[in-house]
Amino acid sequence: MTTTAPPAPEPLLPPLRDPLFDNLRDGLAGQQAPAAVQHAVMAAFARQHGAARRPWWRRLGATGWGLAACGTGGLGAMALLLAVMMAGRPPGDDDAGRGDFIALDTVERIEQDPAPRMLATMVPRSSLAALGVAVSPDNAGDMVKAEMLVGADGSPLALRLASE
Amino acid sequence: MKPFPSAPTTPDSDSELLRQMHAGVAAAFEALYRRHQGPLYRFCLMRSSSAQIAADVVQETFIGLLTGAFKFDPLRGSLANFLFGVGRNLVMKQDKPSAQASRFDSDSDDDDDAPDAVCAAPTPLQRLLLNEQAEQVRLALATLPPHYRDVLILFELHERSYLDIAAICQLDIGTVRSRLSRGRAALGKRLAAWREPVNVALH
Repeated sequence: MTTTAPPAPEPLLPPLRDPLFDNLRDGLAGQQAPAAVQHAVMAAFARQHGAARRPWWRRLGATGWGLAACGTGGLGAMALLLAVMMAGRPPGDDDAGRGDFIALDTVERIEQDPAPRMLATMVPRSSLAALGVAVSPDNAGDMVKAEMLVGADGSPLALRLASE
Repeated sequence: MKPFPSAPTTPDSDSELLRQMHAGVAAAFEALYRRHQGPLYRFCLMRSSSAQIAADVVQETFIGLLTGAFKFDPLRGSLANFLFGVGRNLVMKQDKPSAQASRFDSDSDDDDDAPDAVCAAPTPLQRLLLNEQAEQVRLALATLPPHYRDVLILFELHERSYLDIAAICQLDIGTVRSRLSRGRAALGKRLAAWREPVNVALH
């Protein structure tokens, strides 16, 4: 039995490189894009993925939390005044109804913060699901009163619900 | 506090690095950048004869890869070829519109005698390339029509195959062969023209 050899494929390899280019190729070998380009693309990466990966309480930043605290603080003061006028007695220190703190950062970071402070704020209930708080479809759109432990640099450290 | 997941231990293939990049692993994107920026920068540098344009194109290419402005499809070729192709297109945008119209929109290869003024002014590259022959070749290359320059740079300096060049420049292999052959001939003519006065002066 005879076998027929398959036809040789057309060579795809190009001819040899022209040695005329050798010196130029060697001279170019060390050329790299400036370091500023790498900084720019890595900054673009941080912007693209950093913002998307940060949870909502980090995206707010110190200014956002400050504004939120001012707004809710003002509303809270008015509500407090109204409650005092209606009830005729000052509010007590009753913590009933308040939950435990939910850590938003590491314990070490919270413990080492030089000047943590507490801010009153309102948070969307739907965003609490990411923190392990049960959220039902019925009240997912509500806003919930909360207290935020904020570090000296404005970064959120822990969260406690002031109302369920 | 770590904004991104930790670096991959053994980043290997481009596709794996790309997957990690899309997952937000900064180290994977950095590894991709480090792997491909050099060749891309050198190609753009030779193609445009401008370090500034080359740097801008590298930056725009990688940011486009990151943001999805330039969509890479691994089924259509390698990432390296894709980046070269994007870089080439971006450099082409820097060329004069009239030159683009006459040189890129047509497949005619008969304008090899048309000089290109891309390299009329001294560039930072000229100061870097101390070798006289290399500088002569670079100057001759810079005066070639862009469609010859693309093929010659990719083949001679980046040692890309015909298939790679065809993919990068979106040409068929026959055209790549033709342009390489004509580009070499045109380059030879330009180098001969430059050498003549030198030889005459020596005699």
